[in-house]
Amino acid sequence: MEFIQFTWLIPLIPLLAFVIVGLFGGKFKNGLGSVAILSAIAAFVLSAIVSYEYFTGDLFAAGLAYIPEPIEWIAFGTYTLNFGIYVDSLTCVMMLFSSFISMLIFVYSIGYMGGEGKRKRRYYAEIALFLAGMLGLIVSSNYLEMFIFWEIMGVCSYLLIGFWSFKHPDGDEASVKAASAAKKAFLVTRLGDVCFMTGLFVLLWAFGSLDFTAMFDDPVGSLVNGNGTTIMIGTLLLFGGVIGKSAQFPLQDWLPDAMAGPTTVSALIHAATMVKAGVYLVARSYPLFVQNAEMMLIVAVIGGVTAFIAASMALNNMNLKRVLAYSTISQLGYMIMALGAGGYMIATEMAHGAADIDGAVGYTAGVFHMMNHAFFKALLFMCAGSVIHAVGTEDMRRMGGLGKKMKITSWTMLIGCLSIAGFPFFSGFWSKDMIMEAVMEPAVAGAASVFLFLFVLALITAFMTAFYMFRLWFMTFAGKPKDEKLHCHGESPVSMTLPLVILSVFAALSGFLMFFWLNDIITFNVIGGAFVVGGHGHEGMDILHEILYNQWTYVSLALSLFGILLAYLMYAKKAIDPARLNAGGNTRIYRALTARYYFPQLYDEIALRLGYDVAKGVDYADRNLIDGTVNGISNAMMGSSGMLRKLHSGHVQDYVAYMAVGVLAVFFVFYILIMTGGF
Amino acid sequence: MIPIELFLLMSAVLFSIGLVGLLVRSNSIVILMCIEIMLNAANLNFIAFASHVGAPLAQIFVITSITVAAAEVGVGIAILLHAYKSKKTTDINDLTSMRW
Repeated sequence: MEFIQFTWLIPLIPLLAFVIVGLFGGKFKNGLGSVAILSAIAAFVLSAIVSYEYFTGDLFAAGLAYIPEPIEWIAFGTYTLNFGIYVDSLTCVMMLFSSFISMLIFVYSIGYMGGEGKRKRRYYAEIALFLAGMLGLIVSSNYLEMFIFWEIMGVCSYLLIGFWSFKHPDGDEASVKAASAAKKAFLVTRLGDVCFMTGLFVLLWAFGSLDFTAMFDDPVGSLVNGNGTTIMIGTLLLFGGVIGKSAQFPLQDWLPDAMAGPTTVSALIHAATMVKAGVYLVARSYPLFVQNAEMMLIVAVIGGVTAFIAASMALNNMNLKRVLAYSTISQLGYMIMALGAGGYMIATEMAHGAADIDGAVGYTAGVFHMMNHAFFKALLFMCAGSVIHAVGTEDMRRMGGLGKKMKITSWTMLIGCLSIAGFPFFSGFWSKDMIMEAVMEPAVAGAASVFLFLFVLALITAFMTAFYMFRLWFMTFAGKPKDEKLHCHGESPVSMTLPLVILSVFAALSGFLMFFWLNDIITFNVIGGAFVVGGHGHEGMDILHEILYNQWTYVSLALSLFGILLAYLMYAKKAIDPARLNAGGNTRIYRALTARYYFPQLYDEIALRLGYDVAKGVDYADRNLIDGTVNGISNAMMGSSGMLRKLHSGHVQDYVAYMAVGVLAVFFVFYILIMTGGF
Repeated sequence: MIPIELFLLMSAVLFSIGLVGLLVRSNSIVILMCIEIMLNAANLNFIAFASHVGAPLAQIFVITSITVAAAEVGVGIAILLHAYKSKKTTDINDLTSMRW
């Protein structure tokens, strides 16, 4: 039996769970959370079976995707919009890790959301829909289908970030904040979504179809001839969608605010779904993006700048979850930068007429880092959730010394921190060094000095990442308790610690997968003028060799270790007083970082200056022009009918008189016409 | 042979009597009768032309018309009877509830 033909069930199972939990969850005490969890498990198992079948099948060996005949959805003119399934190695990797992590997060929710009472139904229904959205996006076979699931995720993130907008455990002020954070997330990502949609129109116009098969299977180069500019504009607009969804510069500001939601939701958004969709879109659209080297340069620069500024904002933040949010933005920047750098290499080689391009390190690095990041970021968030669950605050200044009370949490979080900081042999180390290598490749080739700049940014970011992650860890778990009033409940229940332990294993070891399994899977090649995803990779040992024999690996490693050491000296040993470096928090840069480089103000200013006036104009037009026309017509009708209805007196004889007069009038008209010879 | 003009004159006088009665009388029975007069004026007109041009087929139409008129009067009187039962009047000026 071929399970791969049931791929469409993968998003359908969580969707079904959403319907069941949404309709009947209220009747059960735990809100039917078990249904949501079972659906995630089923989705994961099915994903695993499908992936196994695909990877062992002939299609994978030939570097082809599994694409069953799509269902025709809408046909208009010469265009046909389809609904179908597209399984290639990227799809498999994505759906494996997102369903796996979602499954663990769902299990973790049993403990974390245990005190929510009746609102559990809503929670479990929404996270099930969230997962359905992500999995649907992953298996989509065309851009429009993808966009639909993309929007489903947007709605779910809005609902879940604002989950506590009714009643926040920290009081009313926090619930107002949650509501406005949800609105912000929705509106800011909406800006990107509008770009995405416009991009779809442009691409539909350029290609006459939105199916991946039709758009990607064109031989290299034939697309560029003629409508290269159109495709460039289309992909640029698509990338606008990515900037919104994956919180890239300059739309990065919604993600830190999104911390107002429950921590499990943050884990879901940051690790398994939502923000990963943007990176996935770039990886999926690689055949379109690599048509143009300047396009890839823009992508890489946006990624690099995002990585840097987000990491710098995490340096002095005191909120446990906010630091993690900034680190997510920063790591997403890394992924986008790697994809941009890899695509730049392919684009320049293609411009020189190469028909065979052997692998893009950037592509491999970006997707690989996305997977590793999913593991360690889910782990970090769930550890943070465990801490918050135990102490009831997110302010790190009040924590400290929790390591003794929460052994499992502190150790698993340490693994997560080591992994994200790029400590040797943890998963983050491998993927981060592949990214460094990917960014260095075009810089060394002398293609662009921009990449040298990006490489320096990436190095500084690596240092900052190590520093702020260990600052977080030391402030939370090391030393003595800072606030005597803070009561710690001790270690969290098994439903919460078990996922932590499982994830910590992956966060520590998933990097090794690259050397004997993923090296053949996460690849993007140009073979004989056609794009091939997966199936033809480097030898795993070659990759290992390249990483270990690259001097820059050791530079970034040294910087990371220095960051860890600095954090240790500042926050564990207290040998260096951080207040001395920033003049008690009064330096200009410190304030700029706390105010997030004034981005929130910038958003407000733009919204107020530009948006308000535009809105006023639209309001005027709406009230006066559109409403005026409609009201005028209806008023004229009302007035004239008000007069005419008086004729309807109810006296039958009046009607007879009207009729007689009418007949006489007609008679006279005809009479006169005949007499005067009109006929 | 009576000239056709006399028939037409007679018909016009009958029609006018009926119309005036229809417009000025307030008893609905009388109004119904006036309608019948107008109908028969038309029938008279019809038969006069028929005999003038020599088309005997027209007589069939007139007979049909009279038959229909009889049925129509039956319906009319039934309506009036019901109106009388509910309103206790046959005065057309009091039967004005079907209005704006």
